Formats: sequence, structure tokens, C-alpha cells
Amino acid sequence: MHGIAAAAPVAVAQQTSPELKPIKVAFRRITESQYRHTIADVLGSEIQINARFEPEKRDEGLLAIGTPQLSLTSSGFEQYFALASSISEQALSGKKQAAVVGCKPADAAKADEACARQFIAKYGERLFRRPLTDIEIATRLKTASLGAQQSSDFYAGLKLALTSILVAPEFLFRVETAEPDPGNPQQYRLDGYTKASRIAFLLWDTSPDEELLAAARSGAMHTEAGLKEQLTRLISSPRYEQGARAFFTDMLQLDGFENVVKDPAIYPKFNQSIADGAMEQTLKTTIDLLITKKRDYRDLFTSNATFINRPLAAVYDVPFLSAGEWVPYTFSPSSERFGILTQISFLSLFSHPGTSSPTKRGIKVNEIFKCEPTPNPPADVDFSKVKDSTNGTIRGRLLDHMENAGCTVCHRRSDPPGLALEHFDGLGQLRTTENGVPIDVSADVAGVKVVGAQGLARFLHDDPKVPACLVRNVYAYGVGRKTGIREEDYLADQTKIFAGNGYRVPDLMVQIASSPEFFKVAVPSAARTAAVPSAAATTAVQQSARNQQGVNP
Amino acid sequence: MSFRFDRRSVLRGMLGGTAVYMGLPVLDVFLNGNGSAYANGAKLPVRFGTYFWGLGLTDTPTGGTRWVPTKTGPGYEIMPELESLSVVKDKVSVFSGFRAIADAKANQVHWSGHASILTGIAPASASRFDGPTFDTKIADAIGTSTRYKMIDVDASLSRHPVSYSTRTGTTFASPETTALGLYTRLFGPGFQDPNSDNWKPDPSIMLRQSVLSAVKDQRDALMAGVGRADQIKLDQYFNSVREMENQLAIQLQKPAKCEDCIVPAGPKEGPRSASVDVVNANTKTMAKLLAMGLICNQTRVFTFVHTAGSSETYVAGQSKIYHQITHDEPTDAQLGYQPQTSKIAGMVMQAFGDFLVEMNSIKEGDGTLLDHMLVMGFSDTGYAKIHSIENIPMFLAGGAGGKHRAGQHIHTTGESVTRVSLTAMQLVGAPVGEFGTGTMKTSRPITEVMA
Repeated sequence: MHGIAAAAPVAVAQQTSPELKPIKVAFRRITESQYRHTIADVLGSEIQINARFEPEKRDEGLLAIGTPQLSLTSSGFEQYFALASSISEQALSGKKQAAVVGCKPADAAKADEACARQFIAKYGERLFRRPLTDIEIATRLKTASLGAQQSSDFYAGLKLALTSILVAPEFLFRVETAEPDPGNPQQYRLDGYTKASRIAFLLWDTSPDEELLAAARSGAMHTEAGLKEQLTRLISSPRYEQGARAFFTDMLQLDGFENVVKDPAIYPKFNQSIADGAMEQTLKTTIDLLITKKRDYRDLFTSNATFINRPLAAVYDVPFLSAGEWVPYTFSPSSERFGILTQISFLSLFSHPGTSSPTKRGIKVNEIFKCEPTPNPPADVDFSKVKDSTNGTIRGRLLDHMENAGCTVCHRRSDPPGLALEHFDGLGQLRTTENGVPIDVSADVAGVKVVGAQGLARFLHDDPKVPACLVRNVYAYGVGRKTGIREEDYLADQTKIFAGNGYRVPDLMVQIASSPEFFKVAVPSAARTAAVPSAAATTAVQQSARNQQGVNP
Repeated sequence: MSFRFDRRSVLRGMLGGTAVYMGLPVLDVFLNGNGSAYANGAKLPVRFGTYFWGLGLTDTPTGGTRWVPTKTGPGYEIMPELESLSVVKDKVSVFSGFRAIADAKANQVHWSGHASILTGIAPASASRFDGPTFDTKIADAIGTSTRYKMIDVDASLSRHPVSYSTRTGTTFASPETTALGLYTRLFGPGFQDPNSDNWKPDPSIMLRQSVLSAVKDQRDALMAGVGRADQIKLDQYFNSVREMENQLAIQLQKPAKCEDCIVPAGPKEGPRSASVDVVNANTKTMAKLLAMGLICNQTRVFTFVHTAGSSETYVAGQSKIYHQITHDEPTDAQLGYQPQTSKIAGMVMQAFGDFLVEMNSIKEGDGTLLDHMLVMGFSDTGYAKIHSIENIPMFLAGGAGGKHRAGQHIHTTGESVTRVSLTAMQLVGAPVGEFGTGTMKTSRPITEVMA
């Protein structure tokens, strides 16, 4: 057993030991895509993963902030348990078996401790993202040995051992650990394995590979040169695209497409292939522009170059002449299709099943691209002045809100960007009238008059809040927690550097992951029964008890 | 460690957890030796479930109520929005005039009402509950001798799975959202037919148990140096592991004979849309499966969501969803209520009526399944147009094994919703004497409905 639990209360009772004990600063449940990527990397991409994953939670705009707050329900555990058995079965059966195991048992019908130990240590380290302790290996050896005896099959035992690794909290959660900093023993630093995981998940959306684990083992993750070497390697790899896709899927809230609902009576063109295609279009466009071509982030709003497939072409009402699945397509400069906000993904995700919603769209423009959340509406709003409008356009109905003092504060900020996008219906199809009345797409956005989607796109392109928000999102996504007032100066500095580098996203990610703040330790409030390791930590604990996002000063 | 399932391994599993008492009923089953603790002819089990729908019912400040009966006590009259309950009316008690009391906290729209009912605590934010929901307490008390401690269902077919059952306040249950999913969980792999004549214990179950022991052995090491919030999360994780162990242990027992258990045919994949007719059909199909799951002793506790607080349901072809209509539709001066909203509220309530009728159509013992269960039906708001958390419609349905004096209308003026929740807990035998915090704290159940 680990010595920590027993030792901690003693240290406090005596108040003499100045030594900090390692602490676990976060348990971040791995996401579905991180799970899939890790299994593919460690056990092979041909392994089928059929399961219902636990729902994630979005907080302050990002799933990466909500996920660390989540545990595992009993039905979720059932799913992971069945999935783990299925993965072990696939990985350790048939032709793959010998290659995966890497050693041969003396007798395949019996337990073999040496070979089982080698297997458990190797895969345990890849899946726990750190070496296993002796006890962690020993308990799995026991499982493997009993399984082998029971079934007269060495590999049946290994399957059980692998399953027990795959359902362990150390795999299903990214356990972030801090240790006393040798250069400053009163301070914590993240341990090397936690640092390796942070950059692997940020840039590749997967667990650290062998090289990263080696860098953690050797201590290279704690040196500037060692960190830089790994960052350069990761960002230059083709797998960086996988990491960037995961980031933009989270930030652009594209996970919403898994369950988007449209009324077929109103939008007969909508179906699953439109939903899948719309999401893929946005990711393709974003990756091509920002990662492959390394263009200015702000061009995302104004570039009319994109990719389409056949189902999407029908909604965009443009010809699709290729025999291929996806083709590059550039909307004409005079088209109302202009940048990412005019893609089906944004327009249909943030609408109702049967109508567009300027309010939803406006709220999401502010939240996703400017990091400006909208508070919940007051509970006791009386809508009785609002006339039921089956006539005219939605603008009229929203204007009624604007006259109501209780609603104005928020709707004045949320509605205008959405009103500028009203030439697109709830599916994202172009239209110029509603109920026979021409739609007015002029809007007053933060005191600036804009007209239509192009006007809004140009406004956002030049709004300094937009790149600042991306900087905040990359940082919060990587560290997995909300940002607070303490990080304001840091984020402002990072935004300046981002601007100086021409707003290039890959450079931004490396720049943030190289900064000491990226690995700063946020000491969590102490557990009820556990003792606080030291006076220095106590201060931080008290601060963070009041403010979960407080970081160790 | 042993592959044999023995008493010691159960004790280890149970004592590793937070609440030892919850393990004891299971232990009784094991010590019984033949797994017949609930089949000894003594008594049929009592089940409990919650049924939730979004957007309340119509009861306007101007007095145009569409659901609160005039008559109180037994023999209340059926109001227009309660039409679907008329068939089972004598088994349903109606509670009106109860409210969620937020004290100094803001009314978090479409959240504070049911959070208060389920946790007894007015929530501080709309992203979490500030305590566990009481269905989990009931499950801990009465749900440990079945394969599943509880089953969570979401029939709403909306964008994200909806469940309001939580042990931590942040992690909510991941519900079954399709009839096929529910069928597979209840009657798919791992289901043991209680009426099969050639039952044999599955040897692979013992191997699966050993996998879990390896995980559990590391609990103390993992818990060391963990912060408070993470400790709560890990407690829940290990609770889930224990529930899995319990499932496996029960599968090693020969299931007690159960003649009323007739394994249903697998359902077909239905259409996926949030329109009210599709959601209602889904509710009915899932209710039927759930009912047989209860009869077949797969679980004793469930939570069922028809539509979420901010309901996404709509009437097919109408451009506005029901939620928008509740806010936008003007009150008809002559009628004193919103006619369109009230009409859709009636459609939404049709599903609750259908749900109860399904439970009532299955014979069990000398009565029906509904007689041996208690369903608490409730919503997030009273009058949805203004997000009111006053007069939230609440119902208790079913006989609770003879404990519930059903068929009454109980009316108060502004008492806390937690009184109804406490009543539900006590009717099904959860050891709870007090529920709620602040003004909603209560130790007074509604004795009029308790036999």
C-alpha cells in the first residue's frame, strides 16, 4: 500500500515535517475521443469500440472545463466494463495476440508470471500514463494467474488483467499529480508524467506515446529544452491534426450534432447525413485554413473557401459536379455565405427544431468567439406584452423584448448578431423573406452598425475580443479549469504574442504549452478526512476553497 | 482472493464503501442461501419511481386553472389537463399549492423547481444540484437485492440525454434513451430468466468479479492526497464498482421463480424526433418494458423523464416548440388561460396517464403492479409562462403495497414541495425522518395519504 494516507495525519500532528507530500490536483474523466485515440494508439486502430459513453458537461463554454467535474455513474461503469472486456478480447485473440503480448509463456495453458508481468507493466504504463506501482502490478498478476488457472489459458488470464486496467480509475480519469518542487521544496510542481499528459492531450488528443513517457521518466519534461523538443515533435506530427480537431470540436460545440433535432415537416432536407456532413465541413474548413495553411485565425470569419459534399450541396443550393466525396468549394465574393458563421453547422445547431433563433445564434456568437456568456433570463419575465406573431418577421417579436427593461440588458447584446444572420433559416438555407415580408438584416452590434452575415463577419474579424477569447480557450482547454482574475495578465500577454505571430493557431498552442503557467499547480481544497500537508499548502488550500479556480501563488 | 463468491468478499466490497447499511439487505439475500428473500411468499416488493415532465400545468394568476380540482379529499373531479388520469384516478393523489422556496437564492429557471423537490435544497446555480436526489436514497434502502439498484429512463428524444438523478450533484445518471436500449439493459445479455428450468451459474461471472477486486484493492492508494471535490467523485466511482459487483453476485444466485414475469419481445427502432406524438409513443413503449423489468425483479427503483425542464417537444408542423409557446402565447381574456399551451399540456399529460395505465395493466398477486409501487409525478414549474415555482403540480400514484391512501386531492397554500417528497420516501420505507434545508426543511409528511 502507498505510504501517503498513513503518513499525512502524523505530519500534521507533529507540525514539524516541512516536506510536502505528493497530491492529486485533478481527476479529468477522459472524453470519448481521447478514449478512442488511446485505444487505437496502444492496442491497434482495428479494435472496434461499440459503447455508449457517459454524457459530458459543458461549463464556461468548454467540455474540457466541465469534464473534470464528472464522475462515473453505475450505468456508465457497466458500459465501460463491457467495453473493456470486448477490447481485451479483440486485442488478445487471433493473429494479433503474439505481437501484442510481446513474450511467450512457457506453457500457454498455464499462468506464467514473468511474461504476464512484462505485459502488465508495459500496457499498464501506456494506459495509466505512468509506471505502475509494485502493488498495482501484483494485484493484476494475481488476477491473470487465477484467470489462467481457471480457464487453462494463459491469454484468458491476460485478458482479465488488461480489462482490470481498462476499468481502473487511473485509466478512465486523467489523474494529475503534483510533487514537491526540488528547487523550492515548499512549492508544488506537476510531476513529469502529468506534464507529458497535458501536452499529449492538448496537441494529439491522446495519451502520451513511448517517447513522451521516456521524457517524463528521465526528467526531461522539467527542463526547458526537453519540453521544447517534445512540443516541436508533437506539433510537427501529422497527428497534430487529430488534436486540433478535438479542440475545435469542443470550442465550436460541434458535439451538439450528435443529437440535433429538426422537424421534418418544416425542414424535409434535414437528415443524418446533413448533420454529419455539416460537422465535417466545419472541421475540414477550420483545419485546412488554420492548421494546414497556417492562416490568420481571424480569417475563419471572412474566408469563403470551404469544402462540400453532395448532401450539403443540396442545402447550399449549389451544384455538385464531382464524383468524389468532398470537394473544395469557394463561394462567390458577393454571396451571403461568408465565413464560418454562415455554414450549416453554426446556423442549424443554434436554432429551434422549426425556426431560426436570432437569440440563440447571438448568444453563441458571444459565448464561443468572444468568451462572453449570457446570464440566464430572469425567472419572472412576463411575456404578456409579446404578441403572438405568425405574421411578419421575428425581429418584431424581439423588439418587444427590447422595450422591456428586464430583458433589454441581455437581448441588446444577444440578438443583434443573430438578427444579422436572419437570411438563413433554422437549417441554414438562404431566404430573404419570412411570412412574405422581406427580412431586414441590419443590426447594431456593440454600437457598430452592421448589415447581414458579411457585415457581422467583418466586425468579428476586427474585434480584439475574438483572438483574446481563443487564447483563453486554448489555455483553459489544456489545463482543464476555469480561468480567473489571476490569469488575466498572463492571458493578455499571450494574446499580444499571438498577434505578433500573425494569429497563427499552431504557434499559439506551442507558445501556451511552453509557458510555466500551463503547468502551474492549482491545489484543490482538502478532502474532509485527509490532513493538510503543510502550512504553505494550507494557505493555498484556504484560498482555493473559496475560489475553485485559485492557483497556487 | 478467491474466485468463489463468499461472504467475506461481499463484506469487503460493502465495507469499503461509504454507507454500510446499504449493503445489509444484500447480505441477507446471500445468507439466505437460496436467494429467495423476496420470494418466500410473504410479501410482494414495493417499487418506487419518479416521473418527470417539463413546463408544468396551467394555473394562471387570473384564476384560470386547468388542473387544480375544486374538491379536496377523496373523489376529486377530473380537470381538463388531468383527463388522461381518469382511468386510474382512484390510484392517484393530486397535490396542489405546494411550492419550491428559494429563500435568498435566485429562481434558476426550469431548474430550481425539480432540484428542490428532489434534493430539498434550492440550487445556487443552474448547472448542478446542491445535494444528492432522494431517489438514490430510496434505491440504497430498497434497491439492493435486484440486479440493478435503479434504472434511469429518458423518453424525450431530445438533443442531450436528460436525467435528474444524481449522487454528487454534478454527475447525473446516464439514462436509457431508446426502447431498444432499455430492452437490452433489462432483458439482453446478463438477464436470467427466473422461470427457466435449467439454470446454471455462469462461470465467467466469477472471473469478472476478480477483475473488479483488482480495481478495488487500489482504492486507499488512490484516495491518498485527493481534494474534497475529487473525493466525492471517487466515492461515486467506487459506488458504481460496488453496484457492478452486486449485479454479478446476484447473477450467481438462482433467481426466484416469478410467474408474472413474461419476457417481452425486443422492440423495433422507433422514429427519432422530439414531437409530442413520437415522445408519447416512446414513453408508452418504454413504460411497458420498464413494467416487465420491475415484475421480473431486474430493479425496484427508477427515474423516468418524459420531457426535460426546458422541454424541446413540439407539435409536428408547428414552427414554435411548446416551450416558446408557453412564453409567447397571450392569455385569452375570456377564457382566462392560454388555450394553445393548455392543449399541449393535455397532450403531455396523456403520456403520464398512459404510463400509469401500463403499470396498472400488469397483474401481480391479487392486484396490479401499480398497486405494489409508488410513482411520484412532478414538473419543474407551476405556471410556465412566468417560470413560477409556486403550485408545482405533483402526484403520487399507486398503492405502495397498501400504504398509500390514494385517490385524494391535497391542497395547501404555499407549503414546501419537500413535504410531498418526504411522504413518498416514507411510503416506500426509506429510513428518512427529515428532508430539505432552509425554509424547505420538513419532518412533516402528508399523513392524510398515509395508511
